[in-house]
Amino acid sequence: MKNKEAVIIGAGPAGLKAAKQLLEAGAHVTIIDRNKKLGGQLVKQTHKFFGSEKQYASFRGIDILEILVQGLKPFEDRLEILNETSVVGLYKDKVVACVKHDNFFKIKAKSIIMATGASEKHLPFENNDLPGIYAAGAVQTLMNEYGVKPGDKVLMVGSGNIGLIVSYQLLQAGVDVVALVEAAPQISGYLVHASKIKRLGVDILMQTSIKRAIGKDQVEQVEIWELDEVWQGIPGTERVLGVDTVCISVGLAPLTELLMQIGADVEYIRELGGNVPRIDFRYETSIKGVYACGDVVGIEEASSAMVEGAMAGIHAAHDLGYTVEDESRKLKVLQEELKFLRSGPHAAKVRAGYTKLEVKT
Amino acid sequence: MTMRNKANVVIIGGGISGMAIAYNLAKKGMKDIVVVEKEYYTAGATGRCGAGIRQQWATKMNCLLAKKSVAFFEKAQEELAYDGDIEFKQEGYLIVATTKEEDEQFDKNVKLQNELGIPTQKLDKEAARKIVPYLNMDIVTSATFCPTDGHLNPFTTTDAFYKAAEKLGVTFYKFTTVTDIVVEHDEVKAVVTDKGTIETPVVVNAAGGYAKDIGKMAGVDIPVYSQNREILVTEPIERMQGPMVISFSKNIYCQQTPHGAFIMGRGDNRPPGYAMDSTWEFLDEMAKTVTELLPPIGELRVIRQWGGLYNMSPDHQPIISDAKETKGFYMACGFSGHGFMLAPMTGLLLSEMILGEEPSMPLEDLKLDRFEGKDITNMEKSVV
Ligand SMILES: Cc1cc2nc3c(=O)[nH]c(=O)nc-3n(C[C@H](O)[C@H](O)[C@H](O)COP(=O)(O)OP(=O)(O)OC[C@H]3O[C@@H](n4cnc5c(N)ncnc54)[C@H](O)[C@@H]3O)c2cc1C
Ligand SMILES: Cc1cc2nc3c(=O)[nH]c(=O)nc-3n(C[C@H](O)[C@H](O)[C@H](O)COP(=O)(O)OP(=O)(O)OC[C@H]3O[C@@H](n4cnc5c(N)ncnc54)[C@H](O)[C@@H]3O)c2cc1C
Repeated sequence: MKNKEAVIIGAGPAGLKAAKQLLEAGAHVTIIDRNKKLGGQLVKQTHKFFGSEKQYASFRGIDILEILVQGLKPFEDRLEILNETSVVGLYKDKVVACVKHDNFFKIKAKSIIMATGASEKHLPFENNDLPGIYAAGAVQTLMNEYGVKPGDKVLMVGSGNIGLIVSYQLLQAGVDVVALVEAAPQISGYLVHASKIKRLGVDILMQTSIKRAIGKDQVEQVEIWELDEVWQGIPGTERVLGVDTVCISVGLAPLTELLMQIGADVEYIRELGGNVPRIDFRYETSIKGVYACGDVVGIEEASSAMVEGAMAGIHAAHDLGYTVEDESRKLKVLQEELKFLRSGPHAAKVRAGYTKLEVKT
Repeated sequence: MTMRNKANVVIIGGGISGMAIAYNLAKKGMKDIVVVEKEYYTAGATGRCGAGIRQQWATKMNCLLAKKSVAFFEKAQEELAYDGDIEFKQEGYLIVATTKEEDEQFDKNVKLQNELGIPTQKLDKEAARKIVPYLNMDIVTSATFCPTDGHLNPFTTTDAFYKAAEKLGVTFYKFTTVTDIVVEHDEVKAVVTDKGTIETPVVVNAAGGYAKDIGKMAGVDIPVYSQNREILVTEPIERMQGPMVISFSKNIYCQQTPHGAFIMGRGDNRPPGYAMDSTWEFLDEMAKTVTELLPPIGELRVIRQWGGLYNMSPDHQPIISDAKETKGFYMACGFSGHGFMLAPMTGLLLSEMILGEEPSMPLEDLKLDRFEGKDITNMEKSVV
């Protein structure tokens, strides 16, 4: 078993920012990610970012990623990157069990930063496992990372920002987005994104959802229906659409399983996307030396994930005994930024979630 | 829902034991039975266990309890009128010996088991290989095989008892924790929970790993302790292994469930306590052992690992008993890792005891007072 100092699980914006702070303070850092490319969700984000100036608003996700990765370059001698490596177990004595290309190995860490992000939720409906049914993020990966068109006629389910942005990117790729259905009575993402795809001719149907997919070996049609106030389908309102692809975009759930395995306190907070770890204002979980940041502590945005990552990195470096230059000022600035990012009406849900979790920010 | 404040009996614990006791009492006509569970049903050892059913034991008591329980499981689906599937697969237990001492002990075990009517056979290497062809014959010296042993689905089996008991009018409270037992003049008076107090003349301690704590609440000292035991499940593959394979010297049990996943565990000696951690040491050791004994299974991917509590008694046999010092207090605990398979008898014997009926089996070796001032001469050794 190899001994390591700071181990970061997940190389998305949160993990990369945490790495930068730890490296600047002088720590030895190991970053583990199951993907080949670093960057987490950013890898597939070809759109310009919304968010704060400081956190690269109006940059594209892939450009932000480039900046974050370049920022690690000066510290290469203290940085180890284990890509294409899945963390498959996390144990009380801070042993991290990994699998890389079918090889199993273990690492013993002094401190661990969990930045595993989130996974996409699925919906229960008849035939929901037919080929042609994708999560929206998977479609984005196919198109933007691998240049593969997922299909020709798409039904998008869900009107959050991901559903809206992926719809737009599908249209840009020449794919027909036949309709976008949303169970709630209002659009849940930003209206600018919704207006954009509406202008391009996408039928946005509110209080409507998918009832079943139809097809033998793959999706050939879908049946949609209207929903009542309590989200139950209204018989008689069914309609059949001819599509070969269904894109599910109904939210993300934090990837908290490893934290549960190590025994960290976890709580179900609907507003934050599901099971999230109890963290204190230093981003430390209930287990000493194990920190968590980014989407895994609550579904938000890359902008807030970066701020949280930086804070978790600073606290972890401090606890490892390193001196972080200008620590209290840096933390104060980051706090302010986070406050600003969470100040708008769109962050109301997140604010409510953190109030429930009683995190002092 | 307001809780009822009176009952004829309160059973503490919603595992297989609590459910089987409730069912047997209700079947015998008792009314106002309440079961209290602090989490959900099967949250304790029951939902964490291997659910293996074997009659090949080294003590007479365990053999008899297991044999009679198997007879019940064979007709449980009908008797409990269950509409699900308890998945009782009787494809045997193959117990392999890897040392000379084990081989000799097995001769004694088979003799005892046959005398009690259990159809175990002693097998040489070749015969064992016919049953599980990929056994590592370099380390196996001989084996015993009982074709009527097998395994069950612990969740549906518990559910079957639960539904049958509910139909007979038993009341259940889950997510309700017993915090105290009121005893006056050495008699049980009431059970205190975090949701209210229930007056009752009879309390049954079926709290599994927490049985000692429940005993303390009633002023009864039960000589048991709890210990973490780990277990894992692999990805499912086509059915290839009928029997459960176990080895005491190699410290392993391994079965294939009906849907194809392999479940395996080992019995590392852990400090007494309530921790149910999963450890990387277990994963390492388990992988080594299974690869040594059953090489092809070493190729499978592990899906999940977890731990659960064994409630250990001084002679590794269950305690199914009343309590001399506290009238109305009964217990079913100390199962030492094999309480799932014995549940039908646990339920029957304890209900007979509570109702003052003639016991179906002699009870001296199950009662709490068997440990009083005596050395243990009748220790069950066949435990993983
Ligand atoms: C379509 C889309 C558009 C978005 N647009 C914006 C936007 O405009 N502005 C904005 O601020 N935010 C946006 N976001 C949100 C943003 O992408 C996420 O909030 C952010 O990426 C979260 O960062 P993270 O580091 O916490 O997690 P992630 O970026 O998800 O990174 C987690 C990483 O951990 C790895 N990982 C997880 N588990 C393991 C394991 N067991 N072993 C090894 N590796 C593991 C994953 O492979 C992944 O690389 C968008 C998201 C999507 C999907
Ligand atoms: C890894 C493992 C493998 C095993 N393999 C096998 C096997 O192959 N075959 C076999 O026969 N046995 C096996 N066992 C043993 C078997 O699981 C147990 O003996 C059996 O399940 C005990 O059932 P029970 O109902 O007595 O206890 P449990 O199932 O532990 O139930 C006790 C219940 O009491 C509840 N409780 C505790 N305190 C309170 C309180 N204060 N208030 C309210 N409720 C409370 C608990 O939450 C729990 O649900 C195994 C055990 C483990 C851990």
